[in-house]
Amino acid sequence: MKTPVLKPLAVALIAVLAAPAFAAAASQLPAPEKIVLKNGLTVYYLRNSDLPVVSFRMFVRGAGTAFAPAGEEGVAGLTAALMTKGTAKMDAEAIAEALDFMGASFSVSAADEYAQVSGDSLTQHFPRLMEIAAGCLTGPSFKDEEFAKERARQVDSLKSLKDNPGAAVRSYFRKAYFDGHPLGRVASEPSLAKITLQAVREFYARRFRPDRAIAAVVGDIERERLVELLEATLGPWANPAGAAASEAIPPLPRPKGKTLVLIDKPDATQAYFVMGAPGYAMGDKVTPQATVMNTLWGGRFTSWLNTELRIKRGLTYGASSLFWTWAPGGVFQASSYTKNDKIVEALDLTFGLLAKGGREGFSAEEVESGRNYIQGQFPPTLETNASKAGAYVRLAFYRVGFDYYDKYLAAIAKVSPAEVKAAAAALLPQNDYVLVVVGRAADVLPQLKKYGTWQEKKITDAGF
Amino acid sequence: MRKRIALALLVLAACAASLPAAFRKEDVKVHQLANGLKVLLVEDHNIPNIALYTFFRVGSRNERTGLTGVSHFCEHMMFNGTAKVGPGEFDRRMEFLGGSNNAYTADDMTVYTDWFPAAALEAMIEMEADRMQGLAFVPGVLESERGVVASERRMSVENNNDGILNESVRATAIMAHPYHWDVIGWMSDILSWRRDEIVAYYRTYYAPNNAILVVVGDFEPAKALELILKHYGPVKASPPPPPITTTEPPQMGPKTVLVRKAAQAPSYMAVWHAPNAKDSDFLPLSILAKPLLDGESSRLYRRLVREEQLAIHVGGGVQETIDPFLFSIYVKPRPGADLDKIDRVIEGELGKIKAEGITPREFEKAMNGVRSDFYMGLQTISGKANQLGAYELLYGDFAKLFTIMDDYAAVKIERVKEVAAKIFTENNKTVGTLVPEGGAK
Repeated sequence: MKTPVLKPLAVALIAVLAAPAFAAAASQLPAPEKIVLKNGLTVYYLRNSDLPVVSFRMFVRGAGTAFAPAGEEGVAGLTAALMTKGTAKMDAEAIAEALDFMGASFSVSAADEYAQVSGDSLTQHFPRLMEIAAGCLTGPSFKDEEFAKERARQVDSLKSLKDNPGAAVRSYFRKAYFDGHPLGRVASEPSLAKITLQAVREFYARRFRPDRAIAAVVGDIERERLVELLEATLGPWANPAGAAASEAIPPLPRPKGKTLVLIDKPDATQAYFVMGAPGYAMGDKVTPQATVMNTLWGGRFTSWLNTELRIKRGLTYGASSLFWTWAPGGVFQASSYTKNDKIVEALDLTFGLLAKGGREGFSAEEVESGRNYIQGQFPPTLETNASKAGAYVRLAFYRVGFDYYDKYLAAIAKVSPAEVKAAAAALLPQNDYVLVVVGRAADVLPQLKKYGTWQEKKITDAGF
Repeated sequence: MRKRIALALLVLAACAASLPAAFRKEDVKVHQLANGLKVLLVEDHNIPNIALYTFFRVGSRNERTGLTGVSHFCEHMMFNGTAKVGPGEFDRRMEFLGGSNNAYTADDMTVYTDWFPAAALEAMIEMEADRMQGLAFVPGVLESERGVVASERRMSVENNNDGILNESVRATAIMAHPYHWDVIGWMSDILSWRRDEIVAYYRTYYAPNNAILVVVGDFEPAKALELILKHYGPVKASPPPPPITTTEPPQMGPKTVLVRKAAQAPSYMAVWHAPNAKDSDFLPLSILAKPLLDGESSRLYRRLVREEQLAIHVGGGVQETIDPFLFSIYVKPRPGADLDKIDRVIEGELGKIKAEGITPREFEKAMNGVRSDFYMGLQTISGKANQLGAYELLYGDFAKLFTIMDDYAAVKIERVKEVAAKIFTENNKTVGTLVPEGGAK
């Protein structure tokens, strides 16, 4: 492949970041119809009968990884996974069999700030899909045997992840950057070992409730049929009597000074790095300027970073940057990988470009190109039923309005070179950052010490 | 219970039906230029964008020893300059116009994928036509790109245990046919291809008579065709590339391959020689793959992950290829798992299917899965472009896309058992394992 394909997580993020439009006339995202079920659950709905398929999406606020109690990192992911492993009426096998039989997909997963529920099927199977989804959401059985199996499977998946340094470095970075903060609650072998089934049950009971959920349905289904179906399936989901657990996330840490964490992987023939620094919150007014700046600095194929590391020097297959955004704040992140003996060259180039961005800014032509690119690449991010449904729940979750993308694209169209330079000066880190490298310490550590106060870990150590 | 039966009947009836009116064979406008370029155009105004996919009939299948990986390298060089458009300029211009691109190389094909706003259509057609035969292969740029591909290989093979095992198993199972090596190529070849060899390879395979151009999206077909004629019309046809004549000889006995490497978890993979996409055994085999491997209700997921708890996940199946390739089963074992036991469980399940076939319910499930995957793949302009081009290249006719569901519906359940008995024999099997060495268990 010419370029690595973006991982789903990054794609979701880009959909948020890359929000403006070329032809200002048509709305990027058709306004959905709001349906409120008798139990208060809000469902946004849009009909699309082009193909016989329907997508369902739901966010449950306060049920993400950030809400795991300290020491029980991973409880959100474990709870989410176990929700499809048995209900009052169906055991895990029956659920899997029913979903596979329809060729449908259904999952519950834990993002940072929310749990995400996704279901996609052919129109003819959608009623059955929603019956199963409602069973999983409202009455998971959380059996001992399933808990033991799933926890063991997740522990082993984490060990296996460490055989792939490009994937493992992201978890190490998250832990190092957010050490102690809820956004750093990364599941590890030791933390999973401490979680009890009772902890899973409590996490579910306190955090999965209709007054915390936002849902959307997009596809080939009539409104009346949908309302009837939703009332019959999700309608009986009642709010528990007690108050819901907190869904607040404290302000993000702001690293001071230069921190380097090296993870020794003695058999690695490439060194993988991720460096990060404070960014901005979802919906922040700097979003358009910062998005154009990031696009030009490290967000696309011809970005400065990819041009210097890959296109001009052939040091790597991929070099990129992005902004992660959450309600309480965000992070700027740059990453790449190269042969062990080239890591200093790659990092020096990266730091040189970070300094250059704020110092020199970008040319008028570059900024025009960045604006065009963001606008031109936007429509496909909302092309499918699933992506529209995902956008409805995301925009509702962040309370930014369904015209968010139209406003965003209109703002992108007006971003000036001076604004981009200001965004670079404010957001590209110089002296305060966290740098994480996975590589062969014997080769790379002596060269890396100049990048910060360092600590060393072994890839074989438990946890991240 | 009654509800379930009614549902099952409904599914079978629907399977036999063709695609919905939203996407029909008649929607595809077909043209062949005098130079041989096949053009497929589909008007779709859902979003104000266009997907332009160019398929070349070249992949690692067309390579030889010493030049392994060169198809994929040509893919990379396609972004590195022609006589008219300097190195990197293709991407810079495209991004300025609001477009982006990627490309992929497989065993049988190389595909260039462009996504852009409708207004960029002519510029994109012009640049695509230019690079079909105009690549400059500037020496310094070529050397830099060699480093990029070496890094890609380090990422996907040397530093990826499943990648290493996959490469070893393929090379062990397939002796003679060029499917012996992986698309990325051997590292020593990547470091050694000469410029003149690369240029000769490009000249042989990059020609309008060896390509398919698929355009789907927000445009008027008459106008698009006019632009295509204007820019691709002058491109010269080349002599037809040489046919691939090597046939893989029948495997005469079981093979095994063992890789020892630092690892936290072992890897397991088994493959059997399997028919090509056009073979009458192909559809029964791809139906079999679903209840065997697809989803948490599949036989092997239940046995290996849930019941015996030997594995973290399982996967695999059969690929649509021009020449016979492999049916694969991948297992990610849990650290310390008994790999022989994994193999015995797999053989046990295959033995049952050889003796008894799959159940009617499994058969229906497979058909539903095939149908669902099919529609999900047609939701986007890029999905449509990719499917049309791949069908045209593999089956020689894009129209196969519009009848494939009927072909699946016509498969008799008994065929699954017959084909399983034919494919899953001891002598046809290669097993590969990667066992941790040095690192933690």
